[in-house]
Amino acid sequence: MDSFLRVQSVSKIFNRGEAGESFGLKDINLQINKGEFIVISGPSGSGKTTLLNLIGGLDSISSGKIIFNGIDISSLNETELSDLRRDKIGFVFQAYNLISLFSARENIEYVMKLRGFSQNECDMRVDEVARKLGIVKLLDKLPANLSGGEQQRVAVARAVASKPELILADEPTANLDSRSALELMDMMERLNREEGITVIFSSHDPMVIDKAKRSIILKDGHSLIDSF
Amino acid sequence: MFKLILKSSLSSLSIRKGRTALVIVMIAISLWGLMVMQGVYEGMVEQMISNAIRSDSGELSIFKSRFREEKSIELYIHTEKAIEEYLERVENIRSYSKKISIMGVVSSARYSRNIYIHGVNLQQESEHSQLQNYLIDGDFSFGQRERGAILGYNLAKKLKIEVGKKVVVSTQDSYGDITSIKLKVMGILKTNNMTFDDSGIFMSLEKAKKFLSLNGVTQFSINLEDFSRVDELKKDVKSKFQNLELYDWRELYPALIQSREMMVIFNYISYLIVFIIASIGVFGVMLVSIMERLREFAILRAIGTKFSYIFYMIFFESLLMGLSGFIVGSVLGGGTLYYFSIYGLDLTQFSDALSEFGMDAITFATIKVEYFITAFISVFSATLLSLVGPLRFLRKRTPIEVING
Ligand SMILES: Nc1ncnc2c1ncn2[C@@H]1O[C@H](COP(=O)(O)OP(=O)(O)OP(=O)(O)O)[C@@H](O)[C@H]1O
Ligand SMILES: [Mg+2]
Repeated sequence: MDSFLRVQSVSKIFNRGEAGESFGLKDINLQINKGEFIVISGPSGSGKTTLLNLIGGLDSISSGKIIFNGIDISSLNETELSDLRRDKIGFVFQAYNLISLFSARENIEYVMKLRGFSQNECDMRVDEVARKLGIVKLLDKLPANLSGGEQQRVAVARAVASKPELILADEPTANLDSRSALELMDMMERLNREEGITVIFSSHDPMVIDKAKRSIILKDGHSLIDSF
Repeated sequence: MFKLILKSSLSSLSIRKGRTALVIVMIAISLWGLMVMQGVYEGMVEQMISNAIRSDSGELSIFKSRFREEKSIELYIHTEKAIEEYLERVENIRSYSKKISIMGVVSSARYSRNIYIHGVNLQQESEHSQLQNYLIDGDFSFGQRERGAILGYNLAKKLKIEVGKKVVVSTQDSYGDITSIKLKVMGILKTNNMTFDDSGIFMSLEKAKKFLSLNGVTQFSINLEDFSRVDELKKDVKSKFQNLELYDWRELYPALIQSREMMVIFNYISYLIVFIIASIGVFGVMLVSIMERLREFAILRAIGTKFSYIFYMIFFESLLMGLSGFIVGSVLGGGTLYYFSIYGLDLTQFSDALSEFGMDAITFATIKVEYFITAFISVFSATLLSLVGPLRFLRKRTPIEVING
């Protein structure tokens, strides 16, 4: 049986053939199953962001293959990649994830709206995830009126609301104090458990890394340790 | 989804309220001003044309060959009766009048001036040209014994003469002898057609025929039911009568046609101005609006938003701005023109200068659907054009480039 996500001998070379040519990733191999809760850690510049971007179809692979749900994502064109991200993947970035003009509720239902959920479905689902993430009272606020931790929770809510198969979160806690960081991780862990969504996140905060069930450590673009 | 797109456009505008309002006001005011100028200008030109047609030539004039160049009384139309019978029969003819127009001299007690003597039938004129509407003093009549005259108002002023006074009109008759007649001023006309106002004297056609010993007229002035068929009529007249020349008003007043053409150019320039103002205004606001949200758009694309949705968010935003300007400008412009089309624009202060050009002191503006269509097209295309640059820029940057800084 095909596994959920397979990264096969993937390398990423930036500025290939140019003066500033550099390796982002070198020959990475990974196999990830459905429902895992994985952290990618490693020092700065080790390739964490690069790996998440490749898995999310946001950047092109220089060599190797990434097979997601049986599909080689490097074979997809830009529109197909865009649809894949919309339908299958939830994203949480390091900061400023939200649309400043939309309320928290509108931000959360955005991907559902993109996918054509009815207003009724959106309302029900928004209330459900807002409860799980403890942001029910914040739904009508604009992002500018939320703290950093609250904004990241709304971002996580948006990422999970449309029930994607995979959540990719690149240093979701980097801009948070340690208490908010741990709270956010607890919530993500709970969503992973209750909704069965596979989560891959990156971090270099040991306390946050501890929350993961599996840890992949990168260094200079190589995968050093893959521990369960 | 559409609601969210619209919401994005609206909120973005409302965040930049001040600048948005400024752009809307800029578009509206330029549109307003130019639309009013256009309507008033067109009204003036149409009035000039209608004055010229009404007071003189009609839509079509018939002369004896070479009369227009030589202005000689010998070149009168001999076949007056036959032409009249013909005109009565032709279906496409709404009205006509016949007249004698000849150069001469008029003298009051103290002054004398070169003039045109116009022998007319007032009954015919009142139907054909509604000449009576131009009367500003006295009566529209030549008196009981047909020994009266109606003068152009500028001529009367120059002669320092008023209604009730006598003038002597002299010219050469058809034998080449000098002949004069004393006429009583019955009325004063202001047609805004310079030739009449400055140097026109109207007298009875029958009296003029006797006075000039002339057995005919020099001109038929004709209005048609359907002007588009004027060439057909010209051909027919030429085939039935010899030695006649026919001119429609476009040939008689090339200057008026020219002002019409000038007007078209003026209109293009007007809308080019509106276009430029709208482009610059919308471009300025949209550029800031897009630049400030580069990261947001990148995130939207990263999480699976098609570029077309982002295009719509931006497009609606600028369209709302452009359309608001268009609507406000059109309402103001249309309202102002509507007012001037009913009550007229009173340019009495400049009335002397204007009548030199054959314009009325009170101008009635025209108002046409075209004005709004052209305005809409120029604002709409300006809106689109101003987005090309910013959208290209946005399109070129991949989401991760922006998100990863
Ligand atoms: N667009 C790019 N062009 C050139 N080199 C790049 C680009 N993006 C990343 N790199 C390089 O690839 C390597 C991996 O970068 P990456 O951003 O993946 O590291 P990271 O582990 O996410 O670091 P951080 O912890 O600082 O976020 C680095 O050496 C970086 O300089
Ligand atoms: Mg990184």
